Amino acid sequence: MLASLKNVSKVFVNPRTGKGLVALNDVSIQVEQGDFLCLIGPSGCGKSTTLNLLAGFELPSEGEVLFKGKPITGPSPERGVVFQEFSLYPWMNVLQNVAFSVRSGNRSEREEIARKHLGLVGLLDFAHAMPNELSGGMKQRVAIARTLAMDPDLLLMDEPFGSLDEQTRRKLDNEVLSLWKGQGKTVVFVTHSIEEALMLGTRVVLMSASPGRINQEWKIDLPWPRDPLSPEMTALKKDIVKSLQVCSCANGASQGGFITISGSEE
Amino acid sequence: MVRKGPVERKEAIERALRDGRSHFEFRSETRRFLLSNSINIAIGIALVVAVWWVVAEVMIYTRGALFPTPPETISALWNALNGAELNGETIYYHTGSSMMRWGTGYAIALIIGIAVGISFGTLSRLYDTGMVSVYVVQMIPGLAWVPIAMLIFGLGESATVFIILMTAMPPIIINTAGGIRQVPPVYNRVALMSGKSRISLFTSVLIPAASLSIIDGMRIGLANGWRVLIAAEMVLGAMVGLGATIYDSRYSLDFVSAFICIMVICFIGLAIEKLFFAGLENAVRNRLGLDKEA
Repeated sequence: MLASLKNVSKVFVNPRTGKGLVALNDVSIQVEQGDFLCLIGPSGCGKSTTLNLLAGFELPSEGEVLFKGKPITGPSPERGVVFQEFSLYPWMNVLQNVAFSVRSGNRSEREEIARKHLGLVGLLDFAHAMPNELSGGMKQRVAIARTLAMDPDLLLMDEPFGSLDEQTRRKLDNEVLSLWKGQGKTVVFVTHSIEEALMLGTRVVLMSASPGRINQEWKIDLPWPRDPLSPEMTALKKDIVKSLQVCSCANGASQGGFITISGSEE
Repeated sequence: MVRKGPVERKEAIERALRDGRSHFEFRSETRRFLLSNSINIAIGIALVVAVWWVVAEVMIYTRGALFPTPPETISALWNALNGAELNGETIYYHTGSSMMRWGTGYAIALIIGIAVGISFGTLSRLYDTGMVSVYVVQMIPGLAWVPIAMLIFGLGESATVFIILMTAMPPIIINTAGGIRQVPPVYNRVALMSGKSRISLFTSVLIPAASLSIIDGMRIGLANGWRVLIAAEMVLGAMVGLGATIYDSRYSLDFVSAFICIMVICFIGLAIEKLFFAGLENAVRNRLGLDKEA
């Protein structure tokens, strides 16, 4: 087992307003080496919180988050993140952005590694471009190259293509898939698109909101490239949609997933 | 990537439409922008001079006041620039000693202000308490520092420098700290997940990301310091300097000299703002990749 959440709860409180939010309640997930695990669910179901816990940006309120058997105490290059928002430094060119995250070596060695990974995402020609000269899809490809260049054991992707158009997203999904196969990485991929999860994942985990919990998991051992219109895929999609409708999350999500905790309880 | 094509704008557009291309380049029109910028400055100055002239003539006519008119002042300024003395020294000497005081105070304000601003910006607890003190200090009007400066330093140069320092520093601290606190969290997270040290987080991420805000603080601090310098010179018994000369006109009735000094003050302020800071901001904007190409 590479990483796991053991009975993890995460509570956010705002002492000033006296409002609290239970983002995760008693969540357990095990990530195995080589998994492509897709987390899906409505907004406010704790997908991003789960990812942030694995990254080490947040620490659990209760329970344990383990990586290679040890508790996670903070961010580390062993666990690379591709963020939802554009995260390149606008004052560095593409090559410098990628080289910034390379862990070791002198400047020219780091740039060499950065070039190699820019090549993997097909952007070697843009090494000297500034981020504001790139399209949204290209920026996210650079972000992927940057994270791969860190050579992490676990790749955490937080709706990386959420802000891109459908066409670009499909293209990048396929690129991520071939990188995952080619590099033998382990991926945790957050998305709110059932189809995207089904096209990519070896496992699809559905979370429900208010409070965030694990609802159900599907193991998918269909080969790639997958046909979204094949009978197996259609059946899976129907099954997931049904679970989504049954689960309590539908109401909670429409209320923004917020609940108030009185001061004495928390 | 920023290459400018050799063709004029109009022709470049026509060619792009004809060839069915989506991106094209044309000769940039920097000179036109520079020209319109200079015209704006000239009109702004002309307006101020016009109002001055009208007020001067009205005062001379109604009250018989010795109100210097623009032509009178400009010809006196010409003489002063050619070495005529005012208030016992040349205009260069007065300007030099004023700028020396201001430069010293401002330099100290920059060093302390940026250092304090960075630590306030990074440490939330320090920010919550420390900023209250900074706002209190900021509320003290420049001239109110005079008695405090006199009590600490007596009359003289150190007191003047102290007043400049105390008025220039608060906006530098406020803007530096604010700028660092507004750096998008994802910038921090990228550095943290890449295993960067705190020092490298500062030099590679926080300072570049906050640099425009820091420059804003430097700008306001500079203007504060420059304004209070004149006031401080008036009170603290300085014998030379632009402010001292303006103040002396009360007794000497040499109002033309006072007006010359006012013009020099305005000119230096404008030059620093338009030449130095505007240029610096542009350069930093470019470096940060903020001036997006169409």
